[in-house]
Amino acid sequence: MDLCQFAPNAKQKAPFPLGFRAILIYTRSMSTDSDRLLVQQIRQSDARAWEHLIARYEGRLFAFVHRRIKDLAACEDIVQESFIGFFTSLPNYDDGRELQTYLFTIASHKITDYLRRNGRHPLQQASDGPNDLLHLKLDDQPAASSVARSHERQALESDAVARALGNLLDGWRAQGDLERIKVLELLLVKGWANKDVAKFLRISEQQVANIRFAAVKKVSEHVRDAGLSPDVFPELQE
Amino acid sequence: MIPRETLSAYLDDALSDVETAQVEQALRQNETLRRQLRGLLQDRDRGEHSVGAVWRRQRLSCPNREQLGSYLLGVLEPAQQDYIEFHLRTIGCAFCQANMADLQAQQQETAPQAQQRRKRVFDSSAGLLKSKK
Repeated sequence: MDLCQFAPNAKQKAPFPLGFRAILIYTRSMSTDSDRLLVQQIRQSDARAWEHLIARYEGRLFAFVHRRIKDLAACEDIVQESFIGFFTSLPNYDDGRELQTYLFTIASHKITDYLRRNGRHPLQQASDGPNDLLHLKLDDQPAASSVARSHERQALESDAVARALGNLLDGWRAQGDLERIKVLELLLVKGWANKDVAKFLRISEQQVANIRFAAVKKVSEHVRDAGLSPDVFPELQE
Repeated sequence: MIPRETLSAYLDDALSDVETAQVEQALRQNETLRRQLRGLLQDRDRGEHSVGAVWRRQRLSCPNREQLGSYLLGVLEPAQQDYIEFHLRTIGCAFCQANMADLQAQQQETAPQAQQRRKRVFDSSAGLLKSKK
């Protein structure tokens, strides 16, 4: 296979003899392997690898933070803290996790910390006053063991749902059926009603309902097969 | 009306800046919405989470960076070009928008500024590697 034909910087339409699916599989694998190698090198205190990591991810993290924080100096600080946070978490970082998503998650937490320090956290927006229970909840420290059990359970449930959805989406992509992905994404990620999805995509409500029903059934079955209950997910109870 | 899943995405910091601003304005003006947000937080505390949140956090439908680059160049097949447009504009994926902003910035004259920024991040953190040795 001539890999050059999938070069993203091609100035003309490249032939795609293997179709979109091959590009998706190839480029995702390459990115993950490259990141994994970088992390291994950083664990061995390789300064060049650390520099490469920063060069690779700083721009997108900066854009992500800047979306919420308009102060450029604060943005830079948050991005710096995110990288330092990542470095500090390295002993516990699972190489199987996608690095980019992990970095975005850390940046999200740093944004939250910044907003809290500046009185702009969403919980503070929802609070009715300094003595509101919700406001106090920001400082609530539940027992470590109960938090650990709860998080562990949620992680298992999330993984089961992600696997089921991932398989479903991969199947649709392989068939070139991106419209189904749009339907499900609007229903589940945006929380749109069936009628709004139907109107937006110019299909019938029945078609939307069928796609939703089939997806819910598949995901619920997968969650049960994993020995878990789909009841914690509101969407799977419809 | 702001759907529950949008509030969930807001708590996950996964909305575009436009949607984030809309939600924050709505929260400031609407007690019912604030009550809904509190209810959502309580549900989360009880261990409830949503399929939509899993989808967002694990970025199940996000195109990778190479695909975003190809989208920017307009060299993808029409269906894929259309899907990425949908994912960026209608879903408003904050992570993909950040990648796009970075790709666009690389094409403009902001590259030297970005390099200086990265150097500052490296300079402030390189000492961690030395202390690890």
